Amino acid sequence: MSDETFMGVPREKIPWYPTIDYSKCDFCMECDKFCPHQVYERREGEVMLIVANPTNCVVFCRACAKTCGPDALAFPNKQGIIELIKRLREEGSDG
Amino acid sequence: MAERFSVLPCNGLDKAVGPLAREIALAVVEACQGELVCPVLFHNLPARYAQALELPLIVIDGCGTRCATKLAAEHNIRVTRKLQVAEALKLAGESAGESLTPDAPRLARCRQLAERLVSVPEERTARDSEAAFAEPAEYATVTQDKFIFRIPRQGYLFNENHCWARVVGSRARVGISDYMQQELGDLTFCELPQVGAEIGQFDAVGSVESVKAVSDIISPVSGRVVAVNPAVAEKPEIINEDPYGRGWVAELELADLKSDRALLLDGEAYLALVRQKAAGYHP
Repeated sequence: MSDETFMGVPREKIPWYPTIDYSKCDFCMECDKFCPHQVYERREGEVMLIVANPTNCVVFCRACAKTCGPDALAFPNKQGIIELIKRLREEGSDG
Repeated sequence: MAERFSVLPCNGLDKAVGPLAREIALAVVEACQGELVCPVLFHNLPARYAQALELPLIVIDGCGTRCATKLAAEHNIRVTRKLQVAEALKLAGESAGESLTPDAPRLARCRQLAERLVSVPEERTARDSEAAFAEPAEYATVTQDKFIFRIPRQGYLFNENHCWARVVGSRARVGISDYMQQELGDLTFCELPQVGAEIGQFDAVGSVESVKAVSDIISPVSGRVVAVNPAVAEKPEIINEDPYGRGWVAELELADLKSDRALLLDGEAYLALVRQKAAGYHP
């Protein structure tokens, strides 16, 4: 939903979501089974899993990565995201 | 004499972490005169281990697939302590390597991890802080259908990940909110952080597990873990019963509250957030 906000910032402006390293992923689907927010979606074909709904991902949550046997999931640098949120909040309060 | 445990390890013989899980399990059994539970036989013939499983259970998972944890959950067996080998090695700045035969340094690390698993938890709670961190005086409530969410009006700071910090002097206790515990449902496991760990704001300071989901506990504040609450590791349902009081998870010596504070909500602001969430709440 486009009107979702996190810490006062529109969710779509916060690039917090998992990235799948397809050289490691074995498509066991544990992350998809685990995530209650439908961040992942299964597909037919060679790439059987994608990050379909990145803005459904809970900012700062990395819990799905713990279910990943081959360690194929990465998240952005947390400190960078905090700095970005701070900046967007300041811009928001200025305007 | 150390407390006796039964041990349910990973059986991943085709990955480097599997044989390490096995070594840790053997060392635990030796150290505490415990009972070993073979996951394969247990899966086929659970009755074989009925007696062994009267002891408190330690689960040792090799990797994030957590087969041993899931096996215990399928059989409704309470896990008293647990270890995930890949994660423990990562924390120590090490890896399992590629070989299916553990080398000497890794075997030594296995013995050390086993010792830590069976050791008696130190008295990690500062007794004199109990009074300082008294229960909230007054709650606001949000009612949605049959759900009632409580939020302390004063003395607590929240993040939007539904975790709280209660600051007293230079320390804070952290835990999860009433909204989060109800959303997760009956908790079956609470993982505590290591005492001494440095936690950044919005880092995970442990996790909680229910039959529905596993969720990180995202720390509202930065600091060093000075105490953890062993009661919630033994009985996670305490968090369901009293999320803001007896259900605290960890106590931190604060690193930079002033900076952290700018990104947190007070009770009134969190109340508004829960009102908004609860309006769409249909678990």
